[in-house]
Amino acid sequence: MKVSMLVLAALLLSSIFLTARQAGSPREHDARWAAPPTEAARMNPLSNRRDATEGGKKIFGQRCSTCHGESAEGTSDAPSLTRAAVGRQSDGALFWKISSGNTRTGMPTFSFLPPLQRWQLILYIRAQADTGGATGSGRD
Amino acid sequence: MSLLRISILGLLCALALGSAAFASAQERPYFVTYDHYLEERGNLEIAIATTTGIPKKNEGVYTAPWLELEYGLAGWWTAELYLEGVTTHGAGHGFTGWRVENRFRPLRDEHRITPVLYVEYENINEASRIQKEIVGSGSLPFEPIAELTQEQAHELEAKLILSSAVGVWNISENIIVERNLSANEGFEFGYSVGVARHLGSLARATSCLLCPENFVIGIEAYGGLGSSEAFARSEQRHYLAPVVSWRVSTRSTLKASVGFGLTSTGDHALFRVGYAYELPVWRNR
Repeated sequence: MKVSMLVLAALLLSSIFLTARQAGSPREHDARWAAPPTEAARMNPLSNRRDATEGGKKIFGQRCSTCHGESAEGTSDAPSLTRAAVGRQSDGALFWKISSGNTRTGMPTFSFLPPLQRWQLILYIRAQADTGGATGSGRD
Repeated sequence: MSLLRISILGLLCALALGSAAFASAQERPYFVTYDHYLEERGNLEIAIATTTGIPKKNEGVYTAPWLELEYGLAGWWTAELYLEGVTTHGAGHGFTGWRVENRFRPLRDEHRITPVLYVEYENINEASRIQKEIVGSGSLPFEPIAELTQEQAHELEAKLILSSAVGVWNISENIIVERNLSANEGFEFGYSVGVARHLGSLARATSCLLCPENFVIGIEAYGGLGSSEAFARSEQRHYLAPVVSWRVSTRSTLKASVGFGLTSTGDHALFRVGYAYELPVWRNR
């Protein structure tokens, strides 16, 4: 019993140590993270459904705002989504990034959301960029 | 301290700490099958769940509760701690042990089939009945719990998790290998497969509790296949279990399933209920 408790304590302590090391460092920007061309070419099936943007706002608030900020302006955890560099990406590229995630930067995989909800997120992100809601506080 | 008290304490801590807004990843709808979605880095999920079994023979009904702490150590690494117990109708109750598991996602991006590697150490006893996975063969032991808790087992378990997102569907397959370090039982094998989907596809603009987008339904099948020592098909246990998951709030999920025993060595049914609460505990800001 003593041995097993020591094993448990060692596992917990090593986990805490590793977490502290990683949480203290800022998330790295992965410059090589780009959507495959076929994915980037996909069109948003809701591009004519501006009424769906509000649903995207709700999902953003539930799933994305802690890291990317309430208005997608970015935080120290994740970059602003209203930057020009994001705006230049196609809807298909953003859809792929939201769906796939990136384990290196800590961006979660959101493919568990139905595809239409991910397209709604993109409508909201575009709307935020259009209204200039960014403060630019986020990192690239 | 009893498992129930630990569970209640954990839940209260979660509720107290969870006042900040936070982002939420997906709580899997399955009880046994794992998909490729890991806990978000810096997020802690506290879950309580129970497995209630209705045995086929004259043994009494049992309920096995467990507390689960799941933490996202990195984008590619999630660790979990389990504390578990059991209570029975007429055969006593007791603490049945703990488990530490780690899941690693080796690939940066999602693929058509995304692999996750799973390694678990179990320090449990023979009274363990949560059945978060089933390996090997034969039915559960039904001696008095006080006797079973004296039989300790140190076990190592590995899983290959393969999971795919196909439109609104998730399809996951787990291949399980377990080795008892306390007794020579060979390598024991098991499996689980699951499919699930959201009920809603387009999100409504307003928050709603009962709208379809908050529900995930699916079905999973799991069981033990035998071991390197014995592969008797008649001794295998297999279950088929519909599952439903309800996102009660941004932070919490309630899920339930009924597993129907398909073989004579299994129980009639396994009723499972679980509640998970997620909160950020370590952020850069």
